[in-house]
Amino acid sequence: MFFYYLDLAWRSIKKTPLLSLLMVFAISIGISTTITTLNVYQLMSVNPAGERSDKLIAVQLWSQGKDAWKEFNAQVTYQDAFNLRKSDLPVRQTAMFVTGLAIQTEDADFSPLLETVRVTDSDFFGMFSVPFLYGGAWDKSVDTEAAYQVVINEEINKQLFSGENSVGKTLFLDSKPYQVVGVIKTWNPSPQYYDVTTGAFKDSTQLFIPFSLAPIEEFQSWGNNQSWKRESMDTYSDRLNSEMHWIQFWAEVTDDKQRDEYAQWLTRYVEQQQLLGRFDSPEAGAQLSNVAQWLDLNEVVPEDNKILVGLSALFLLVCLVNMLGLLLAKFLKRAPEVGVRRAIGASRNQIFAQHMVEVGLIGFCGGVLGLIWAWGSLSMLSARFDLEESLTHLDPSMWIIAPTIAICAALIAGIYPAWRICSTNPSVHLKSQ
Amino acid sequence: MLSMKSISKVFKTDLVETHALRDFNLEVKEGEFVAVTGPSGSGKTTFLNIAGLLEGFTHGDYFLDGVNISNLSDNKSAAIRNEKIGFIFQGFNLIPDLNLAENIEVPLRYRGFNAKERKRRVQHALEQVGLAARMKHLPSQLSGGQQQRVAIARALAGEPRFLLADEPTGNLDSMMARQVMELLEDINKAGTTIIMVTHDPELARRAQRNIQIVDGQVCDFTMYQGGGYQGAEKPHLVAGAASGLDKSSDDSKQTQRVAS
Repeated sequence: MFFYYLDLAWRSIKKTPLLSLLMVFAISIGISTTITTLNVYQLMSVNPAGERSDKLIAVQLWSQGKDAWKEFNAQVTYQDAFNLRKSDLPVRQTAMFVTGLAIQTEDADFSPLLETVRVTDSDFFGMFSVPFLYGGAWDKSVDTEAAYQVVINEEINKQLFSGENSVGKTLFLDSKPYQVVGVIKTWNPSPQYYDVTTGAFKDSTQLFIPFSLAPIEEFQSWGNNQSWKRESMDTYSDRLNSEMHWIQFWAEVTDDKQRDEYAQWLTRYVEQQQLLGRFDSPEAGAQLSNVAQWLDLNEVVPEDNKILVGLSALFLLVCLVNMLGLLLAKFLKRAPEVGVRRAIGASRNQIFAQHMVEVGLIGFCGGVLGLIWAWGSLSMLSARFDLEESLTHLDPSMWIIAPTIAICAALIAGIYPAWRICSTNPSVHLKSQ
Repeated sequence: MLSMKSISKVFKTDLVETHALRDFNLEVKEGEFVAVTGPSGSGKTTFLNIAGLLEGFTHGDYFLDGVNISNLSDNKSAAIRNEKIGFIFQGFNLIPDLNLAENIEVPLRYRGFNAKERKRRVQHALEQVGLAARMKHLPSQLSGGQQQRVAIARALAGEPRFLLADEPTGNLDSMMARQVMELLEDINKAGTTIIMVTHDPELARRAQRNIQIVDGQVCDFTMYQGGGYQGAEKPHLVAGAASGLDKSSDDSKQTQRVAS
């Protein structure tokens, strides 16, 4: 009977095209608004670490004094990062920050490029599952014994080396020669959970160099630098020894037990530092967050977005109320035909099902049209406000979610009109026809 | 086949209580052709709606094929309507968007017949009413008489045990009406029980039995001649008894009491 009802629904839509179109428009506008906000919300809410979310731990230290900010900072000081790197408890760990360097090659015709570069440890690549096209990370020994090595991504590799295996080749960063040890595939986790301080939805950096080079090359931080007390910063050494928070620090643990052990180690570290006159705030301590907690803690999905999704759902509700009115008018006009169908053997349930299939079809059409609206509005938002593409592309799941929401919403709106029409007394209409 | 015992039907509004049927008793045997007459508002259509399970009733018992259908669920009522009862209406009540074959197919779909069986029955029903060649036509492309024949074909396609016809010739000219009546007679001869509401005394006389409903009750009367009640006598109400003309026993226009 489903296909019979579908056929009847299609005939009915063709018979009243304007009314049907109005309903499709009503639901499509509601759906497009909902899908647009839901799409952005969903893209922001993704946890790119997946199954490794619980193993990757962001480390925060309350090293600031009594009169400083009253919360754990997302970053740590260089001296703390330097000390934490000495712990052998985590399976892997990495300190990092972002700098900017000019890229040059041996080719005299090559115009220098100014690129953001992530200064990090070799564990970074394994911890965050960075896929390699050629080569790999620099050797672990480089994390302590600095070496001028670099990992580049395939885009830079195409620009600099025509996409060939460039491992072993040399490029210049701020005129210093660096040996390419690895080329990574296109890798752009969104949100960029390992460094939310420079914008969770920005593109990933394209070059990576050893953290151990920082004190030698005196890289400036292109990220957030937060100081809580006045300090002299005349030299780079002053910066490294300051209480300024500017380094992100992540550790990888195997399980909760190891995480607890690491937390205890950090507590002891804080106590040790207090003996040295640091960490003098009563709240001083360490905080560990897995990726999911980290995204939540840093409000990667702003509260406004949740409100926006709620508001768009309310808008969808308004559209559905409109649709309900139109459906009621359309269905009740058909009461005489329904009377005939009831007289010749259709049960209430069958009449109800027939009309619900019609509502579902309208909902489906509205969903598809709404999806097209949503795609258009996301493109428009992207172009008008220059938003990150990672936030404005239509997630493939929406091609399923939008029609499903539209059909379900339409079915909910259709319950009352369908119930009304199947409850009418057929004998009234049989005589009046 | 059809037995109504002390049926009453009351329509209530906030201000008025209307007794459409009161203490209504009727027996219809299998294969009978019963004409139901009566003045407007007497309860003929209400009776037909109750007989066709389109409406419930306030009190009484209704047996169809020996089964008490007084408290049937909507699904069961619909199934009985679909399998045992055929409806013919004054206004034909064909679905305008469906062609003839699709119109006739509607009750068959609700009964769950497969496409092959539906096609066979539609073909047969249209042949019975002489419209097999026009199965792809829309109702609007047919004359009134043809539309009524299609409605009859739709009623016949399900091979019902009895047909309920509400003024089946009311919208037709005399020639068309005669054709439709002849068709109904043929159907009745083939074994289908027919209950026909009509205002036309000519048609009523052609039925095997006439009953008249007045003020919601089966009414016995002595004289009934075309055009209405004759003489000064008012109809005599016989509560609890079915009455009417028995054409099979007496072909004259004299009425005769028929025991319920």
